Amino acid sequence: MDPSEVEFLAEKEFVKIIPNFSLDKIYLIGGDLGPFNPGLSVDVPVWLALNLKQRQKCRILPPEWMDVEKLEEIRELERKEDTFTPAPSPYYMELTKLLLNHASDNIPKADEIRTLVKDIWDTRVAKLRLSADSFIRQQEAHAQLDNLTLMEINTIREFLLDSLNCMYKLRSNLQPGATKGQFADY
Amino acid sequence: MFIADIKKDFYDVVANQRVALLVAADIDALCACKILQALFHCDQIQYTLVPVTGWQDLSTAFLEHKEQFRYFVLINCGANVDLLEMLQPDSDSIFFICDTHRPVDVVNVYNDTQIKLLIKEDDDLGVPTYDDIFRDEDEEEGEDSGNESDEGSEPSGKRRRFDEGAIERRIERQRAKRQWEARRREILFDYEQYEYHGTSAAMMFFELAWVLTKDTKDMLWWAIIGLTDQWVHDKIPHMKYVSDIATVQRHVSRHNHRNEDEENSLSIDCMRISFEYDLRLALYHHWSLYESICNSYYTACSFKLWTLKGQKKLQEFLADMGLPLRQVKQKFKSMDITIKENLRDVIEESSNKYGMKDIRIQTFGVHFGFKNSFLASDMVHAAAALLESTERDENDPTDNFIKALDALSRSHLDRLLSGIDLAKKKLIAIQQTVASCICTNIILSQGPFLYCYLMEGTPDVKLFSKPLALTLLCKYLLTAFIHSTRNKRCKLLPLIMAAPKDVEKGTVIVVGIPPESETSDKKNFFGRAFEKAAESTSSRTLHDHFDTSIIELKSEDRSKFLDALITLLS
Repeated sequence: MDPSEVEFLAEKEFVKIIPNFSLDKIYLIGGDLGPFNPGLSVDVPVWLALNLKQRQKCRILPPEWMDVEKLEEIRELERKEDTFTPAPSPYYMELTKLLLNHASDNIPKADEIRTLVKDIWDTRVAKLRLSADSFIRQQEAHAQLDNLTLMEINTIREFLLDSLNCMYKLRSNLQPGATKGQFADY
Repeated sequence: MFIADIKKDFYDVVANQRVALLVAADIDALCACKILQALFHCDQIQYTLVPVTGWQDLSTAFLEHKEQFRYFVLINCGANVDLLEMLQPDSDSIFFICDTHRPVDVVNVYNDTQIKLLIKEDDDLGVPTYDDIFRDEDEEEGEDSGNESDEGSEPSGKRRRFDEGAIERRIERQRAKRQWEARRREILFDYEQYEYHGTSAAMMFFELAWVLTKDTKDMLWWAIIGLTDQWVHDKIPHMKYVSDIATVQRHVSRHNHRNEDEENSLSIDCMRISFEYDLRLALYHHWSLYESICNSYYTACSFKLWTLKGQKKLQEFLADMGLPLRQVKQKFKSMDITIKENLRDVIEESSNKYGMKDIRIQTFGVHFGFKNSFLASDMVHAAAALLESTERDENDPTDNFIKALDALSRSHLDRLLSGIDLAKKKLIAIQQTVASCICTNIILSQGPFLYCYLMEGTPDVKLFSKPLALTLLCKYLLTAFIHSTRNKRCKLLPLIMAAPKDVEKGTVIVVGIPPESETSDKKNFFGRAFEKAAESTSSRTLHDHFDTSIIELKSEDRSKFLDALITLLS
């Protein structure tokens, strides 16, 4: 999976906006949106929020988890625990990037939030690498990791699968005859 | 016809249509174009952008697009000429003209159907009243039919008796008509004699955005650049610049208070515009202070840096302020912070001693990110250098236009920085040319004006084949000449400058600027003078540029053209 595909999926998440135009309810394949009234907040998917923001038709409100104190707590918790703590949102990395790139004037203390989210990401990815390393080394058959987000899984996916495939090939070559028979030509 | 309500009569009309944007090649037009493009993007209005460099370009562009488009928006072109006669459009084409060139042609003002002027009606126009210039043609013919109201004769179309009374009345009417026509010619002559510039087009479009409440800081910054362009290229008098700055300042304070308060400070990446009472040294933030002082016309002319005495005075000036030479010759960004802190005040104090009273000018600066801070005049110089770039493989005017347009947006910083480099080269070239012209005394006083011709072998003469660069050179040269001459009369003369434009075709570009004075209102009479001189000597000229004071002339006709001008103006 491409990171841009993950970002695309992240854009389906809902975020609150305050529009400055009025429009009746719109009926889309994925669901209904609206009605839009100027000054009243409404929940829309991120893709629509960004489009409206670029056309200067709305103001984006930061999601609840995008707050300096909450993120600081989560970062401290993440650093203490060995396993993964629940992430602020299943798409926290992508949403942070999208919202801070396009709507940083609507989000208070945007620079600190960017730093905090990066810290949380770094800690989690470090833990993930460690656990993948020990998984391969100890040649485990299966493992369970809770509270991973799709973006993190995506970063490790290719490496993990390829290395496990290599390990499997090496292991199967060490036991001649066991599986080889099936590949005989005659 | 002047538009009263810009939203209703312009924006709502084009809202669901396809529009053709014809944009002239100067920085104010570029900024206005960017603002309009941003508005069109917000509302998903389809448009086609066509850069035009002169009247011929405008006509060809119109012919190409008249089948597909009904609405044309002309930016900084088209107001000072009878557009309908020139383009011969169909009756359903509508032109929206936002132009700073004045005087606005009377046909454009009084046409109610096809020409809409996006100009404020009170913007220093002085248009003659309708009755003074127009009268219905078909009421003129033959019989004693009713004429204009000021005639007041009886409507007697049916009476065809040739009695004494009728003949007398007829003679009377013809006399009145001749008088009226003479008066009309006089009024029109006075009206169209001087060419000058009005409020910046970028500011007009920013007001449109403000009325639509879609104005952003980006658009405000472009409006500021448009206004600064008018000041840098000497198109508006100082008073007008100051009052326009005050208008813009209100918008800037409004934007600065919008999102910022004590606890929720904005991200550093957001754009911040600030009012600066900064030094009049071109590009000094991106250059070293020493280079900037040597190459800005204000300081170079006040010190007379082309003489040895002037160089010594400059060294004295720097010593007087206590600035070590090593620091001053370093890049400004790496200069010692203790020196940079009070630099502006220190320079202002010292420059007062050396006779430079106006070293500081009111302007605006922008900051975004940690590294990027630019003054409005920096952006104007950079964009102008890109627009008229004569680098080896960059000679397509449309390409240069697009590059200059890109340089104005925040996401193309590398373009802007390359523009700044080109601008530095251009300023150095201008300063060297000025120095050599003054030292070799090639400025001749021809009686009613000063004249200077750049020979073909002069270094960087290719740069000066473009109108904006040549106008800047003219202005600097005139200031330098005024400072260096002792002849009191010559100080009040205007300057005409000629430079080779196209070596193969053998043409030169001729520019005339009004005389330099404290309270100059920048009204230029050379447009009409050039036309008349060309007519009277049947010289082969091309009045292609939107500014009528810039023409192209065949080199062979140069001397007779000049002689005609001398006789005309003395």
